[in-house]
Amino acid sequence: MSCLVSTFLSLCPLSHRLSSLLSLQSLDEDCTLEEEDEGLIEEEDEIDQFNDDTFGAGAIDDDWQEEHKRLAELDEKDGLGAGLGLGGESDLGGAEDSSSIHPPLPSSLPPLKFTPSSAGLPPPDVEDRGGEGDLAESLARLILEADPAIAGVGAAERPVPSPGSSGSCLSALQGLDRPRVLPKSSSISHPTQPHQHPHHPQHQLPPGPSTSGLPGPPSSSMLSYQQQQHLLRRGTAPMGQMNSHSIWENSMGFGPVSVTPGLVTHMEDSPLMSIIKEVGLPKRPPQGRSDEGQDLSERVPPPRSSSPVIGSPPVRAVPIGTPPKQPMSHALNHQIHHPMAVHVRAPVQHRYPPPFPERLSPNTLLNIANSPLCRGPFPPGVGPVLSQIQRAQLLNTQVAGFPRGGPVPPLLPGGGGFRPFFGGPPPPHAHRMGPPPPHGAPNHTPPIRHNTTHLHPQHRRLLTQRMQNRGGDRGRTGGDRRSRDPYSNLMTQKEKEWVTKIQMMQLQSTDPYLDDYYYQNYYEKMEKRQERERDSSKKEHTTKLITPQVAKVEHSYRPVQFAGSLGKLTVSSVNNPRKMIDAVVTSRTDDEEKREKQVWNKRRQILYTVEKMYSLLLEVQDFEKRFVHAPEEDREALLEQHKTNTVQLCNSLREKEWDDRVSDEQCVMIMSVRKGKRLISRLLPLLPSPQAAAVVLAIARNLPALAKKDKQDQVLCWLVEPVSAVIQSLSSSTLTDLLQELQGNEGQLATVLHNKFGVTLLYLILSEGERMQSSDPNCQLMDDNRWTELVFSVTRELLSVPSSSLSPPLFTPPNLLSLLSRYVDRQRMELLQDKLQISALSR
Amino acid sequence: MNYVPGTASLIDDIDKKHLVLLRDGRTLIGYLRSIDQFANLVFHQTVERIHVGKKFGDIPRGIFIVRGENVVLLGEIDVDKPCDTLLQQVSIEEILEEQRLQQQAKQETEKVKMQVLKDRGLSIPKADNLDEY
Repeated sequence: MSCLVSTFLSLCPLSHRLSSLLSLQSLDEDCTLEEEDEGLIEEEDEIDQFNDDTFGAGAIDDDWQEEHKRLAELDEKDGLGAGLGLGGESDLGGAEDSSSIHPPLPSSLPPLKFTPSSAGLPPPDVEDRGGEGDLAESLARLILEADPAIAGVGAAERPVPSPGSSGSCLSALQGLDRPRVLPKSSSISHPTQPHQHPHHPQHQLPPGPSTSGLPGPPSSSMLSYQQQQHLLRRGTAPMGQMNSHSIWENSMGFGPVSVTPGLVTHMEDSPLMSIIKEVGLPKRPPQGRSDEGQDLSERVPPPRSSSPVIGSPPVRAVPIGTPPKQPMSHALNHQIHHPMAVHVRAPVQHRYPPPFPERLSPNTLLNIANSPLCRGPFPPGVGPVLSQIQRAQLLNTQVAGFPRGGPVPPLLPGGGGFRPFFGGPPPPHAHRMGPPPPHGAPNHTPPIRHNTTHLHPQHRRLLTQRMQNRGGDRGRTGGDRRSRDPYSNLMTQKEKEWVTKIQMMQLQSTDPYLDDYYYQNYYEKMEKRQERERDSSKKEHTTKLITPQVAKVEHSYRPVQFAGSLGKLTVSSVNNPRKMIDAVVTSRTDDEEKREKQVWNKRRQILYTVEKMYSLLLEVQDFEKRFVHAPEEDREALLEQHKTNTVQLCNSLREKEWDDRVSDEQCVMIMSVRKGKRLISRLLPLLPSPQAAAVVLAIARNLPALAKKDKQDQVLCWLVEPVSAVIQSLSSSTLTDLLQELQGNEGQLATVLHNKFGVTLLYLILSEGERMQSSDPNCQLMDDNRWTELVFSVTRELLSVPSSSLSPPLFTPPNLLSLLSRYVDRQRMELLQDKLQISALSR
Repeated sequence: MNYVPGTASLIDDIDKKHLVLLRDGRTLIGYLRSIDQFANLVFHQTVERIHVGKKFGDIPRGIFIVRGENVVLLGEIDVDKPCDTLLQQVSIEEILEEQRLQQQAKQETEKVKMQVLKDRGLSIPKADNLDEY
């Protein structure tokens, strides 16, 4: 045996290497130690080299032996030794030890539900050691006092490889035994070879926990050669081959350690087992259980519940769309309680005052449950680790004050301070007693309230008013029903605001007139109408869309200019140059343009002119709005531009640049297209009066032609309103001119009378003349023979024209009759009246 | 009275009892619980109400999520107002049977109509289901 030991010692470096190898290679790699034994000593240098390679130079050479010795001494010194001997060579080993010991515990003692984290904590370790130290000691003593055969039995049992469960489950016990037992057993078995002590503890490591020694090189260095042999053999070698080591096994593995593997499962009939049963086990399990139970109740729940992930109230930060926690809690309640649970929850949701600003999630409830306040009520009978359900049960009884049979104490000591958070008594009563909550706590104020900063002040006022009204309503009628609704306010205030914000965002605009032209104009119109209505009926029943009133952003946003941008460099083409298109900006000369114009057909030219005029017109029309919005310093420039625009607009009606008059051809040309007629109707009010008069004259002059072209479009009537405005501003002479133009040469009036617009225009002129005459007796018109003559000729024409070819006018001016009565006798008057269908009533 | 733009105006209606008519002609009644900017609706304690003639029946549907585009009309139901006695509530089975009969009758009429048109050499495009939506 001694020679064996020496061999073993010489092998130790190898063992290091092997262990390191083992950590890298798979366990069942087939290499038998016997073969290596022969070449071992020769290879020692090489091995050292390997070791150096693996662990770094000098890392291992002497250390391991010295360490072993030192630790062995320590072991002996310590006696009962606090488990250091097991720790092997380093603290690290010790640490590993404790962790390797404890994980198996759960499997051996399932009801305890030891979690790894808790097992790693120091307090139970100490306690375990204490408790199990006793057991171990007693076991060791028993074994030592008993027949050596017992040890043999135990040893015989041990080699049976205990893979996995049985080994690991027993390792718990074994590990606990070690600290006390090892020194003794080693001192007994090898009294004369103290230098071997260090190995014994390692020997006595059972196969099971060896897995813990394997993983890392440093810790694996703890493994003795013997163990490694074990490991190596375990995979391949059958039991019989192990006989050569039987002495080893017996002597080394002697002691209580050997008892442990298969303690519960395999050793039912061994004498040792019976001893253990009698002495050790009956005592231990309950003890450990209660100890650890207390530990757990102290330690485990708080960390869990206060962990940021689970314990924090998540509702507060719920993103939109995240289902609120309520349903879950409901489910819980349903599980635990009776159907009434729904009603139990209601008040909880609704009425916590400030301390719990959001709905209570089950987790928050748990938090509260774990808070020192509630520590008391946990009944001793209830297991230290409460299931969620149990917890909820407890909570509910506390919260809702539910009368419940069973061991649960009804109220917690600190209930006084605790209760108000939950609104106290059960809901049905709560509703009748106490003031009805104004629809939820302050946090459940009606929507939009918080979001009103961007609203029009007037509107904000309206909103709040409405809210108040509604609040009152709820308090009176719907309040009961609504606040009883346990599912109300599933959509949090935040979510509501979010929706509102999104909708508002869509309407947000820095330049509403540009972004939303039609809406703005529509509302302008609406407002005007509303004003009119308000004047008459003093009622406001129109609805108004609330739009975000964005503070005008100071930086001026320049929209992307696409015009002429084709040839320009973009950022992307700088970064990623690629010829997309050949675009050359050419500035065309007037000659080219003229030539091109000639190529165009006339219609296109007209359309082009009209387009150009339209854009000018729009600019001019927009002037007022822009002027108002523009800052002071820009107004001058705007005004300038407006003037040039207007001049340009007038010029476009002239044919020749130098000609100051409005050209007939141009007018007719423009008005030959439908667009053009609309253009003129929009243009007239904007033109200076001489130009406007010229345009109207031109229209009158060319009315037959225009009327012919208007047959399809019927747009001339659009001109009535602006033309009448122009006519009203005409001087008497111009009016006479106009009438003259309208009458034109022979036969023109007939065509004019055939046209609706023509008739209306004629009436307008006559009516205006009559207005002039009646308002001012000394009117020039009276003296002007031309006017009288013209009117005479007109009446003649009116009388002569067949009524079928007389178009009904758009409207008949009321004073037409009085005018006519000036110029015709009674008989003709009646005829005219009949023909023109002017009723006396219209007067 | 003023209103906020888009579906945000529905926020005021949350947690009230609503009737919604869907594009496929179904009528749902339930408590509006949640909305979003697309007017997607979440109804709670929903019943599907089937009207046939003067009878109606409610089929409990639980929670109903309606995609906004399917809403034809949506309106609050006045819970406090007593429902008129004009309509008579019947059991689910009965109303389903009634509905079936009604649809059958409709199909019959449709068939007859088609036949008549066919006889006269006319053909209308086959009544596409899409038309109903």
